[in-house]
Amino acid sequence: MDVNCAAGVMSSMVSCRDTGAGLNPSAALHNLLVCPIPRKSAARILEREHYLHSFPAGTVLCFGVMLDNRLTGAITLGAGPALAYRLVDGAEPQDCLTLTRFWLSDDLPKNAESRVLGVIFRYLKRHTDLKFLISYSDPSAGHLGIIYQATGWLYTGLSSAMPLYDLGDGRLRHGRSLNNFLGSRDQGYLKKQGIKINAIKQSAKHRYLYFLDPKWRGYLKSAVLPYPIKEGNNGNN
Amino acid sequence: MEITDLPLGILREATWNPNQLDEKALEKLKQSIKRYGLVENLVVRSKDGYFEVLSGNQRLKVLDELNLQIVPCIVLELNDSEAKLLAQALNHIHGVDDLGLRAQLLREILSQIKQEEVLLVLPESSDNLTSLASIGQEELSVQLQNWQKSRLTKLSHLNFQLTSDQKKVVEEAITRFIPFARGNKSDNPTLRGQALYLLCQSYLGKE
Repeated sequence: MDVNCAAGVMSSMVSCRDTGAGLNPSAALHNLLVCPIPRKSAARILEREHYLHSFPAGTVLCFGVMLDNRLTGAITLGAGPALAYRLVDGAEPQDCLTLTRFWLSDDLPKNAESRVLGVIFRYLKRHTDLKFLISYSDPSAGHLGIIYQATGWLYTGLSSAMPLYDLGDGRLRHGRSLNNFLGSRDQGYLKKQGIKINAIKQSAKHRYLYFLDPKWRGYLKSAVLPYPIKEGNNGNN
Repeated sequence: MEITDLPLGILREATWNPNQLDEKALEKLKQSIKRYGLVENLVVRSKDGYFEVLSGNQRLKVLDELNLQIVPCIVLELNDSEAKLLAQALNHIHGVDDLGLRAQLLREILSQIKQEEVLLVLPESSDNLTSLASIGQEELSVQLQNWQKSRLTKLSHLNFQLTSDQKKVVEEAITRFIPFARGNKSDNPTLRGQALYLLCQSYLGKE
């Protein structure tokens, strides 16, 4: 599937699936099954297939996408950035989750991403009290978030990216790792303790929100902006 | 290709073989050979009066314990670099399981063979085997309902960053409230959490 690498959705090479000759794509869409999968299985498939080749820390829910008994996709929802919930007035950390990984095999029929997200939205609305989801797409990887645009997420612009930190060993650490490792990520404090630390700027990411509970839509503190489009594209994205 | 039966005593492990198997996995390999026999031939080459194993070094480790004295082998004449290259090719060219299809296969096996027996020969732990075999079988609604329920009953963590002097003060304050926490049962099973709560409640009550 030569998708335009929407947020976290990676085009990939997976061996050809036997979906039967002349299978009607819309029938195949209806045969897609979204189901829970074990963390280890999600990690295995995402580390192999997703472009980031990693399993996100703080994952709380893992879903798989099955077609004809094959595991053809994996999705994770997790804690995401600690203060992201503050985008919505009155929201608390437990009101939202971040869609942290979304990978589907290229062999799935067209519109599979929308179908899968639609199923997830429906079940989250019905069975949880989550109010909204957040997701990010990385423009530095050529991602605009086309799938989020296609499924009606609200675009709130580029997020201010959190830096990564180098303690001089060349290894880049997340701020949370510094908290765990050194007790703080405060550069001034760490400098006073004699710890040299370099903050490495990261590129900002497109941020999207999806309201599972539409009542909360009115409390969004950030302005809703027009969807980003590919440079040189006149809107036919 | 001709298969030659060689006595175990003249086979040697390739000292340069980087592939390692831990004790647990070796035991499973042993159980598998016990159950099915040595179904794959070893690949060897003659070297300095003995036969060096290019493929089957792990099996070689357990054959003695299994009392298998004659080993079917494919004997090749290869120089050092070719022998090493073949060993790498034999060890590293393999496919990747589709986890959904593997789950289906495991369910079929488990419907016919007891889990204890399956666990003797497969590398998975009991929990891993069960969760792997469950792929595609569980309902999304059940998972989400359970998750939602656990969220409501889960205790929350609050993290603070303190200097060691500040920490001492906070620790002391919480410790002073522990006797009250003991005598003041709540749905919080952690004594220190309950003590901190009572401390804050007491402070707010004084305001």
